[in-house]
Amino acid sequence: MSEIWVLVDKAQDVVRNVTYEGLAAALKLKEKNGATVCAIYVGDNAGAIEADLGKYGAEKFYKVENPALSDFNPSLYATALSEVIKKHNPDIVIGGNTLKNQDYLPRVASRTSAGLSLDSIDVDINSSSALEIKKYKYSGKSIATIAFHDVKPMIATVRLNAFKPIEGSGSPEVIAESVELPADENYKVVETKIIPKERPELTEADKIVSGGRGMANGENFQIVYDLADSIGAGAGASRAAVDSGWVPYEMQVGQTGKVVSPNLYVAVGISGSVQHYAGMGSSKVIVAINKDPDAPIFQKCDYGICGDLFDILPALTDEIKKLG
Amino acid sequence: MKILVIVRQTPDTEAKIQANSDGNGIKTDDIKWILNPFDEYAVEEAVQIKEKTGAEVVILTVGADRSVDALRQALAMGGDSGVHIKDESFADMDPYALGKVIGSKIKALGDIDLIFAGKKWIDEESSQVPIQVAEEIGIPQATLASKVEVDDASKTVKVTSVIEGGEEVRELKFPALITVEQGINEPRYASLPGIMKAKKKPCEEVGPDGINGDEIGISGEALGAAGSRISVNSIEIPTISRSLKVLDGRAEAVQASADLAKLLREEAKII
Repeated sequence: MSEIWVLVDKAQDVVRNVTYEGLAAALKLKEKNGATVCAIYVGDNAGAIEADLGKYGAEKFYKVENPALSDFNPSLYATALSEVIKKHNPDIVIGGNTLKNQDYLPRVASRTSAGLSLDSIDVDINSSSALEIKKYKYSGKSIATIAFHDVKPMIATVRLNAFKPIEGSGSPEVIAESVELPADENYKVVETKIIPKERPELTEADKIVSGGRGMANGENFQIVYDLADSIGAGAGASRAAVDSGWVPYEMQVGQTGKVVSPNLYVAVGISGSVQHYAGMGSSKVIVAINKDPDAPIFQKCDYGICGDLFDILPALTDEIKKLG
Repeated sequence: MKILVIVRQTPDTEAKIQANSDGNGIKTDDIKWILNPFDEYAVEEAVQIKEKTGAEVVILTVGADRSVDALRQALAMGGDSGVHIKDESFADMDPYALGKVIGSKIKALGDIDLIFAGKKWIDEESSQVPIQVAEEIGIPQATLASKVEVDDASKTVKVTSVIEGGEEVRELKFPALITVEQGINEPRYASLPGIMKAKKKPCEEVGPDGINGDEIGISGEALGAAGSRISVNSIEIPTISRSLKVLDGRAEAVQASADLAKLLREEAKII
């Protein structure tokens, strides 16, 4: 029986949602090829997570635990996953497009002679029974359909929020695998710092409020943050605002920043350049606030207000709070 | 110390992307090509280390004839010499094959201590090739570096990397590969004398004969698309129709804001 594997992503002791999104992608493929959907954990300690995995569609749960995997070392993680792939020969391996997966799956692909495509927004099985995915190319400017050749395994990561977890019931068969990991003299983790964030990460956020040149300075971004916080959104910026030194690089949305596709994107004082649109044009609903009636963003938005953002933003935040 | 920077030529960020007549690639006729913006940070980081330590900086790219312009730009920023892997047969390689070809060439160059690359190629929307290069050579990698401290005496490099939810400091032994995060430095503009000098810097052209296909398990004719694991079937340009409901808030900011909040709640059902 062929298998589709889904990588388990955990933050502290909790299974991250991206795992369930991966399982949802695998369930979609299962409908086409009837494969068994399996979760696979690679790390130092899985904990009691099988019930959660079963609930979202895992029929089997491979557990690869090794104390050497307590720090994240891409090469050791690649060894662990590659060994288990070689033993069980899954047809397809799916992971969330997390930084960690982006960091070690390329090595896994090389070691297992597998094709790899990152950041898929859709997955399918084509008429040649091979995995076929859709992903953005040239930022949001185009969508490519990419077919895997007939070489197994076929490895793909799925964009965060691209799939909706499917809740069901089930309890997976648990299979513990052990791997031998040689010490790695060439790579050492010295220190890991978790920096608490006030707002959701842009690539994970369901809603984003971004400010641009119209903000005029860094202090004024407070009204962007206020609106963002009133709807639980992440806060972003255009390249103009970042290059002016008003806000840090990590807030930049656009072709040379982060490429995002939230359900709601609010562009404040952003004219809507080709480069910015390439980074957020696939958002479900786009709202623009700009004083220039001729700003290009007004030709590419769902809703907008033409007016002074310094009057509108605080008023909009108030009105949203009133709605409760 | 010897440093190598992997660069890529990409369409300009201003470029309008259109599907070609086959529908599986883009129209390249009217496109202006640039050095991948994220690679500028990688070149700058290497050149800054060169200025501190006297290291030699080699720039490497894979691509059509035109890619030499990206190579020359990196040389104008301060690289010493270039390697241009070019041949028609390399044109349709997927990241799997690209990683193997680049890795194989770097192994043949020998004695490289550090390899830098940008965090992402803006055309492919991909970050995987440099890592596959590191795997092919058999060296460690640290991605998304926000700080790089080189210790030539102990042949180690300390890298501060962006990770999910924070940052991590890693120590890697030479040789090592590092991809850099945007904003790690301020890439310099190539000066006019720099551009003039770059034209005279040595640049090795590598064809299929220069790649040891047996070593990487991709033989002669399979170096291109046939050695790949994935291929692009089609490219489509997304067209999302927007409802363009723009309210005039120039006189009545509060009223317009109240109307917008209501539309987002009741019509878009998004807040």
